[in-house]
Amino acid sequence: MKPIIELRNVSKKIRNKQIIDNLSFKVMAGEVLGFLGPNGAGKTTTIRMITGLMKVSSGEIIINGTNLKQDFEKAISQIGAIVENPELYKFLTGYENLMQAARLYKGVTKEKINQVVEMVGLKDHIHNKVKTYSLGMRQRLGIALCLLHDPKVLILDEPTNGLDPAGIKEIRHYLRKLAHENNLAILVSSHLLSEMEMMCDRIAIIQNGKLVNIQRVKEEEVKTRPYFIQVDKITSALNILQDAGYEANPHEHGIEVYLEKKQVPEIIQQFVQQNILIYEVKVISKSLEDRFLEITNDKAVTSHA
Amino acid sequence: MLNLVKNESVKLLKRPSTYIMIALIVVGTILFGFLTQWLHSNSKNDSNNDWKQGLQQDIELYEQEYENTNEEWYKNWMESQIAINQYRIENDIPPSYVDYSMWSFIDESSLMITFVGLFVIIIASGIVANEYSRGTIKMLLVKPYKRWKILLSKYITVILSLLFLLAILFITAAITGALFFGLGDTNAVYLTYENGQVIEQSLLLYLIKLYVLSSVSTLLLATMAFMISAVFRTSGLAVGISIFLLLVGPIITSNLANHFEWTKYTLFANTDLMQYLEGTVLMDGMTLEFSLVILAIHLILFLAISFYLFNKRDVSA
Repeated sequence: MKPIIELRNVSKKIRNKQIIDNLSFKVMAGEVLGFLGPNGAGKTTTIRMITGLMKVSSGEIIINGTNLKQDFEKAISQIGAIVENPELYKFLTGYENLMQAARLYKGVTKEKINQVVEMVGLKDHIHNKVKTYSLGMRQRLGIALCLLHDPKVLILDEPTNGLDPAGIKEIRHYLRKLAHENNLAILVSSHLLSEMEMMCDRIAIIQNGKLVNIQRVKEEEVKTRPYFIQVDKITSALNILQDAGYEANPHEHGIEVYLEKKQVPEIIQQFVQQNILIYEVKVISKSLEDRFLEITNDKAVTSHA
Repeated sequence: MLNLVKNESVKLLKRPSTYIMIALIVVGTILFGFLTQWLHSNSKNDSNNDWKQGLQQDIELYEQEYENTNEEWYKNWMESQIAINQYRIENDIPPSYVDYSMWSFIDESSLMITFVGLFVIIIASGIVANEYSRGTIKMLLVKPYKRWKILLSKYITVILSLLFLLAILFITAAITGALFFGLGDTNAVYLTYENGQVIEQSLLLYLIKLYVLSSVSTLLLATMAFMISAVFRTSGLAVGISIFLLLVGPIITSNLANHFEWTKYTLFANTDLMQYLEGTVLMDGMTLEFSLVILAIHLILFLAISFYLFNKRDVSA
């Protein structure tokens, strides 16, 4: 897989304030990358830089091999983007809004417009004025606008903002389908953890303008996982584990230890040999939220989740 | 580029306010027609046949005045009037008030160009600022066009809307004039005084020239409104300043012109290009070329500021 969006050491300074600090990451074809961070972390600024709305102070942004700064028109023509809300001309109909965009790209046919309208399920309302649309319909029209010119990249800033659960599910479904079937590189930003967890393949966590962590959403890919073992003799159990070189800590009425799956029976066998009684062995499944908080230590974020 | 302009035109033409503007121009012109007809029917009993005598009296009056004044521009103006009046008497060309027709009405309707100016300023003030206030600027700037192309398409649309509204005014005035006052003499001529000679011009050509030249101040002010709107990203300020200057600028300038030599370098001393058509200028040493240069400098300055800032600025709205 080749990277479709690539940021190389991108920084942004506004009036001597470092908004984005040396940010580098890649988004591959066929994946949804979630861009996660507390409010004010620099998510929207980064997205504005990728879409050319803001200029980078230093660093490079490469879109499918084209440097954004050197050939803006070629680079940007491969992007479909909604920055914050889909801003539409409310006095025009949905179709007229699509025509506004269609005129500005080469080779957007009538069939393509109809196909996109069909796909986002706005066929019955497309000739109504946008001011009569619900928020969900506006979001869907916004996505239709982004897809008209078959972009290689889709960038959506808070795409589920203000949507009801059904709408959120729908958007999630579209995005995963577009990435996995049409091989688009999708960058989605949000401060809603639970939503990100379901929508994205990888998540980049950004805080104070710095990339803190990038990881896969599915935990199966992580080798060692934390296990909780409830035993009667905590100290001796801890000693056994630490002597064997495991990372183990006391945890309520037992021990928390990082193990690979195949190591679990070995540990149990050892405990049994040492006459340590085992009451319970379970995987501590950490949700993304736990991991996110672990990384950012920012309690304020959870209140939005 | 063509498609960008088309998009802008669609956005203008799908808004009710545009139709209100067009309707106001049409209705205003028709009302002006009624008013003019009413005024003429009241003064019909003027001795139209004695127009030659009337002109002769005017000539004598001007000649007396000519001796008593030292104002250079006034002397020039009277000189041209005397020459034109004599030409009319000699060649049997009655002045327009004698034979009031469609042509005369189109001429008088050029007063309504200020009205057109008002609307074009409103359009120019909104065309950039509205994109910001609606947030649609973000959708527009992520399209595969460099920013200067997007701004240029908007400026072209402003100029097109000026021409469009002018055409509407001209055509409405022609139709209203023809209905109220008749077609008149289709070979009618317009007389000007240039370089000591009276020259006959095609009246239609003169009227088109009149409309275009009268719009020069509108074009400059619309460009200024365009600049203010691109710089401050709000339309209110742009509309306010520009309309204030449209209405008050010429008055202030003509007052200043009496006192300060540098006034002739200001915008409003030069926006009235009709002064060269009529042969009487605001201040000594002003020529058509001089005015065109001053206007071009202002125009380029306004546009340079607009394009520089629009290009450079981060969009964070």
